[in-house]
Amino acid sequence: MSTQLGILLAVFLFPGGLFALVLGLSLKGLDRRVAARLQGRIGPPLAQPFFDLVKLSFKRTMVPATASQPVFLGAPLAGVVSMLVAVALVPVSGLYSPDPMLGNLIVLLYLLMVPAIVLMIAGSASTSPYGALGFSREMTLMLAYEAPIVLAVLAVALRTGMGQGGVITFSLVDIIAYQRSHGMFLLDPVMWPALAAFALFFPANLGIIPFDIPEAETEVLEGPLLEYSGPALGLFKVMSALKAVVVLSLGIALFMPLPFDGIWGLIGWLVQLAVLMEIGVTIVRLSMGRMRIDQAFSFFVKWPLLLAVASVVTVTVVA
Amino acid sequence: MNMIPDFKSIATKSPWIYRINAGSCNGCDVEMATTALIPRYDIERLGCQYCGSPRHADIVLISGPLTTKVMDAAMVVFNEIPDPKVTVAVGVCPISGGIFRESYSVKAPIDQYFPVDVNVPGCPPRPQAIIEGVAKAIEIWRERM
Ligand code: SF4
Repeated sequence: MSTQLGILLAVFLFPGGLFALVLGLSLKGLDRRVAARLQGRIGPPLAQPFFDLVKLSFKRTMVPATASQPVFLGAPLAGVVSMLVAVALVPVSGLYSPDPMLGNLIVLLYLLMVPAIVLMIAGSASTSPYGALGFSREMTLMLAYEAPIVLAVLAVALRTGMGQGGVITFSLVDIIAYQRSHGMFLLDPVMWPALAAFALFFPANLGIIPFDIPEAETEVLEGPLLEYSGPALGLFKVMSALKAVVVLSLGIALFMPLPFDGIWGLIGWLVQLAVLMEIGVTIVRLSMGRMRIDQAFSFFVKWPLLLAVASVVTVTVVA
Repeated sequence: MNMIPDFKSIATKSPWIYRINAGSCNGCDVEMATTALIPRYDIERLGCQYCGSPRHADIVLISGPLTTKVMDAAMVVFNEIPDPKVTVAVGVCPISGGIFRESYSVKAPIDQYFPVDVNVPGCPPRPQAIIEGVAKAIEIWRERM
C-alpha cells in the first residue's frame, strides 16, 4: 500500500506532477528571458509561460469538422500522462530514487518517445495538410535520433554494469550510485562520445532550433499543433515543459549527478538544470538557423550515430 | 472571493498575435515584422508572441484594403480565430483604401466586413503606433474575457 502511495506522490507531487510542471515552465520562462537579453531586448517576464497557460485555459477549444474528436482531444492527454510518469522515473541524486516497481531505464526510453508519437497522432487526427507534413517530418526526425540515444544510454549502462562487476545495468539508481562513488561520467574521457551523442539528441528531442523542423511555424505553420487551440494547446505546452525536465534531468542522472544530499542536492540540481537549459537550449537556438529535414536526417545518421557506436565500443574495450 | 478577475488579468498578459494580409502592399507587414523582431521595439515584453496558426491567436492584425480576390480567404481565416479575440486594422488602407481607394477591386473600408476594434492609421504606421495599437487591443481584450 505504501509503495503505491509513494508512486502516486512521485507522479503527482514531487518530482513529477506539480513540482515538475512549475519547474519546467520556469525553465521555459528563463529561456525566453535570457534569449531576449542576449539579443539586447528586455524580454517577457519570467512567469510568461504561466500567463500563457492561464490565457489558453480561457480560450475555446475548436475541433475541426473533419477531425476525429476522441483522438484529437485524447492525444495531448496521453502525452501529458506519459511525461508525468517519465518525470517520476528519473532519480535525483541524493534526493529521490524511484520505486523499482515503476520501471527502469528502458521504460523511460519508451516513454520519451511518446511525445513525438502523440504529435504525429495529433497531426494526422487534425486532418490538416500541414499536420500531415508535420507528421512525416516528426517521424523522420524520430527515426534519426532514436538509434544514437539508445546506444548512448547503452554505453552508460554498460560502463556502470561492468564497473560493478556485472555486465549491464538498466537501473538509473545504480548508475547514480556508481558515479557518486567513482566520479561523474562527465569527467571520464571514455564516456565523452556518449555525452556528445546525448548532447546532440537533446535539441532534437525537445524540438528546438535547429531541429524544430516538425513544428516550424514559418514553414508548416506549427505542423501538428496548427489546429489546436485553447486548453488542448495548453496541454501540449504542459507536455513540452515536462519533457524539458525529463530530458534535462535524465542527462544529469546519466552523466553528472552531484555528490550532495538533501537541500544542497536540490539546489545543485536546480542550478544544473538552469545551466543546461541555457547552454543546451537558449544559446543553441539563438546561434543557429533551422535545418532542412533531409539535412537533419543525414546529420543524425552520421555524427551522433558514429559517436554513439564509438562510445559503446570504447566502453566495451576499456572495461 | 476575487479569484476569477485575478486570473483574467493574468490571462491578458499573454496576447498572441496573428497577421492577416488582406491585399496589403507589404509596407505594413514589414513594419509589423519590424515591431516584433528587431531588438529596438521588443513587443515580446508585453507577453506578445507571433503565431503561425490562426487558432492560437488572440489579437489579429489586419493590413491592406481587402481586395476582392482575398476577401473570402481572409473571412475564413478570421473565423478560425477562437473567441475572445480583438481586431486591429493596421495602416490607412483598411480605413479608407489609402492609395488604392476607389479602385474597382478594393472593398475598403473593411469595417463593413470585420469587427474592427482598433485602427492604427499611417502609411505605413510607425512601429511605436503599432505597439500602441496592440496595447489598446489588450485593454479591450481584458474587457471581453
Ligand atoms: S497603409 Fe500604406 S503601407 Fe500599409 S498596406 Fe496600405 S499602402 Fe501599404
